[in-house]
Amino acid sequence: MTGLIVAGVTIVAAVVVGLVVRSRNGRIRRSGGGTVAGSAPDGARPDGGSADGGALAGLPADVRDALAEEPADVTLVQLSTTFCAPCRHARALLTHIAEGADGLRHVDLDVTDKPGIARDLGVLRTPTTIAYARSGAELLRVSGVPKREELLTALEPRLAGAERPATEPPDGGRPTE
Amino acid sequence: MSAQPAVDPRGPRFAAIVTTVVLVVVLATGWWPLLAAQTVVFAIGAFVGLKPAPYSVLYRLLVAPRLQPTDEREDAAPLRFAQVVGFAFALVGTIGYAFGVTALGIVATALALFAAFLNAAFGFCLGCEMYLLLQRLSPRAGSAS
Repeated sequence: MTGLIVAGVTIVAAVVVGLVVRSRNGRIRRSGGGTVAGSAPDGARPDGGSADGGALAGLPADVRDALAEEPADVTLVQLSTTFCAPCRHARALLTHIAEGADGLRHVDLDVTDKPGIARDLGVLRTPTTIAYARSGAELLRVSGVPKREELLTALEPRLAGAERPATEPPDGGRPTE
Repeated sequence: MSAQPAVDPRGPRFAAIVTTVVLVVVLATGWWPLLAAQTVVFAIGAFVGLKPAPYSVLYRLLVAPRLQPTDEREDAAPLRFAQVVGFAFALVGTIGYAFGVTALGIVATALALFAAFLNAAFGFCLGCEMYLLLQRLSPRAGSAS
């Protein structure tokens, strides 16, 4: 009898978890990181000014390298593992989005053997996609397969805003390390 | 576990449904030989391959002929990993029941049921997406990035 009750409770719990996960899939969470709060709708500070160097320096090396290797207005860094089926869907979608949008780049980081990166970034689930500004400031993150329209809408001000005034950081050359 | 042929995604979904039913029966009856059999099923999927896994065979024989063929394909590595996770829980559960530690048997089986049901009902592979979390909890997670 106990077993039957446990089975019932387990299934109810799984339904709840399943619904929560489903509702969170693809939902965009804005990152509270000081410099980008409010996602600068006025475009006054395209790259969040104050903490430029600091933001980049605080990132795990692999992410920093990915951002530096080909700087873009917004870089979507996707964290994936070999064992994650939705990661493939996310990769296909993001690659497609990045091809169609100016100043947008997509990098897929396989962290199967690099749990440190996920730990440093506070990522528990794959795929998780984090959008970084050129400065290395985190703009937003999405767990699960992103939703195309919502993501583009959220990123639009960053892409347009950064395009307009061409305020490249003076050291925008390329940090050769 | 690389370069494996992709599979029809409905096969694993079917397997998850069968697994869910089997695990509910195990919990309801406490009949551990059935859980032992399920453990073997997991083991075949995890360590031999998805093709010879009993529920995949069942799917190909009974279900697939009645469905429209699909071009959709899913990579096998995540699915194999899920079978490994299921195997671990089922094995612990079987040992629990068999040696009279019924509470352990129930808890382990319930965890396996939880994962199987999420897969069957939502197509959500818990072990796959939580791989990072599992890895972090495991002892060797201390390695630097």
